[in-house]
Amino acid sequence: MNDAVIEVENFRMDFGSTNVIDDLSFDVRRGETFGLLGSNGSGKTTTIRALLGIYQPTAGRLTVEGEVFSPRQGARLGYLPEERGLYRKESVEAVMVYFGRLKGLSAAEAKRFSADYLERIGMADKASVRLDKLSGGQQQKVQLGVTIMNDPSILILDEPTKGFDPVNRRLLMDLLNERRDKGATVIMITHQMDEVERLCDRVLLLKDGAAEAYGTIPEVQDQYGGRRLRISFSGHLPTSQSYRAMINEANYAELDIADDADTNAILAELINQGVQVRSFEVAPISMEEIFLQVYGSAAVAEGD
Amino acid sequence: MHNLTTVVSFEFLRTITKPKFWLLSLAVPVMIGLVVALSAFSNSTAQDTTNSSEAGFAYLDNSGLIDPAVAHAMGGTSVTDAAAARQQVIDGKLDGFLEFPADPVTEPVLIAAQDKGLFESGRYSAVANALMKQSVAQRIGDRQLATLAVQPISTDTTSYTDGQVSKGPLSLLLPGMFLILFYMAVVMLGNQMLNVTLEEKENRVTEMILTMMNPTTLIVGKVIALVLIGLLQALVVAVPGIAALFILPRTFNLPQFDLASIPIEFGPLAMGFAIFVSGFLLFAGMLVAIGAVMPSAKEAGSAFGVVVVLLFLPLYAFALIVSDPTGLVSTVFTYFPLTAPVTALLRNATGNLAWWEGLLVVGIIGTFAAIFLSVGVKLFRTGAISYNSKVSIRRALGR
Repeated sequence: MNDAVIEVENFRMDFGSTNVIDDLSFDVRRGETFGLLGSNGSGKTTTIRALLGIYQPTAGRLTVEGEVFSPRQGARLGYLPEERGLYRKESVEAVMVYFGRLKGLSAAEAKRFSADYLERIGMADKASVRLDKLSGGQQQKVQLGVTIMNDPSILILDEPTKGFDPVNRRLLMDLLNERRDKGATVIMITHQMDEVERLCDRVLLLKDGAAEAYGTIPEVQDQYGGRRLRISFSGHLPTSQSYRAMINEANYAELDIADDADTNAILAELINQGVQVRSFEVAPISMEEIFLQVYGSAAVAEGD
Repeated sequence: MHNLTTVVSFEFLRTITKPKFWLLSLAVPVMIGLVVALSAFSNSTAQDTTNSSEAGFAYLDNSGLIDPAVAHAMGGTSVTDAAAARQQVIDGKLDGFLEFPADPVTEPVLIAAQDKGLFESGRYSAVANALMKQSVAQRIGDRQLATLAVQPISTDTTSYTDGQVSKGPLSLLLPGMFLILFYMAVVMLGNQMLNVTLEEKENRVTEMILTMMNPTTLIVGKVIALVLIGLLQALVVAVPGIAALFILPRTFNLPQFDLASIPIEFGPLAMGFAIFVSGFLLFAGMLVAIGAVMPSAKEAGSAFGVVVVLLFLPLYAFALIVSDPTGLVSTVFTYFPLTAPVTALLRNATGNLAWWEGLLVVGIIGTFAAIFLSVGVKLFRTGAISYNSKVSIRRALGR
């Protein structure tokens, strides 16, 4: 049985003579959290827009629940685009009720959800206030409420924490976890690699419109190979043929070692060289390092 | 069209629940009411002034035509020394002095009067005229002859077109209303129409919206809401106007307007309606396309100005179109899509548009309206998520 909620097959996207995506295929399974990663301009947002029917793909087939997306499926979707906003001249409640109705709720249900949500985030007294009279953080909270007000079974979040303060980042994570607990399928586009490692079941790394890596986090880490030694120490870290220092600070270092390296021998070598080792941990290469390898440090800086 | 009614009700209600909408809508009838009230008050004051002037002028009759009884009834006092009377006016002791010449047919009546401003200063000319006419009528003696000498005669004209009795100038009234309606729609709804696609773009809300409805639904829903708002505004303006039409004549003793005397011709009315509707859709389509391409209302404003100028360009050639409806200029304006609505409405109102020409024009305007709306929707799909820059039309349409 195919349990894919989202399927992308041989997707190609051209803007005029410019090719943005070339022969991309992947799927997102029911109930998983899927990370769509890549540097700016790698085609992530274009893929989502084509999936949601905002762009017409040049070639290929993109489906949601087995069908090419139509606005009628919007009732099951929660979409938080990278470029986001709401009708700023209208009141909080009017905007929430409008979006609720567009997502298939009755006016009464939308009003009830709005009241409950505003109560939860401590903005019950702001229901009749115009959005442009709210602070940026308060507007973000309303935006999050609009995204999840139809209890979506599919959640697509494009750079969800972009511009969010820590309070709203926490709120987003709480809401996201609630959806996940209810079995929602989540697609995240993000540059935050710590979020990817913590939340995502599988990832797709896009580079120049093509799949660079695709699979579970361990699979991708394996694909890029290498392990890291994370050590806390006192003394001077000597150079060695057995490792390459990726980070070398006064009392902490991360060492790149070969897949078949004997870590016991490395530890013995360090001790023999007079290094006082306080902690010694073998870990797979981090997603951030993989990201750096694939896109270079400039891409990480852009993403930040 | 999924979610169409939700869009229409949201757009309609959010506009009419704002105090600003009612303030602006009611401003027109209130202003008209104020002008009418001021005019009525002014007329009444002028009448009072004329009455009061009856008590304060002197006259010298060199013609021998003025009837002293009539002059006395109008408040005039006969004098024999013109220089003394004029000096009294200069000294402010007399309001006005009229010196009738020996031959009023060839010579003017000399008037000296206190300056009472732009409008009031001419009142002694009216007094001189009235005094002379009533005096002459008295001398004629016969009541009928006297009336004919003083008042214009009434006429009743029957004119013919193609062997049929024509309906006269009043027949232009109802078809001509569509031209006025078109003008009002452009002026009152133009900016809102331009914002149909700009608001979502400026608020960065398009992408979310497009996952819940297709762009055609959004645009059609907004245009329908705008038409409903326009109709409501028209009612707000029209109801006090119609009420005034009935109330004012009774209140201020003005001549009553007989609505039954307006001839109703179905053909020109139906044609006017068809041209109006297709013209409105053409206008809406163009503004949707402009709004979809431009990044902000400010930048869209200049393009909007050009569209409005082109739409109403035929009014500058009004005389030429009416006097020579089949001439080169008129023909070009009639069939060029942007100038077609106003030209065709103008020709239809003046009875110079054949039925087949009307159908052809409606077909042309309707086709271009459909093209503009379709292109507008396509541009919107791309343009509405190009938040900061003008959309390349070639790129958007080529996608």
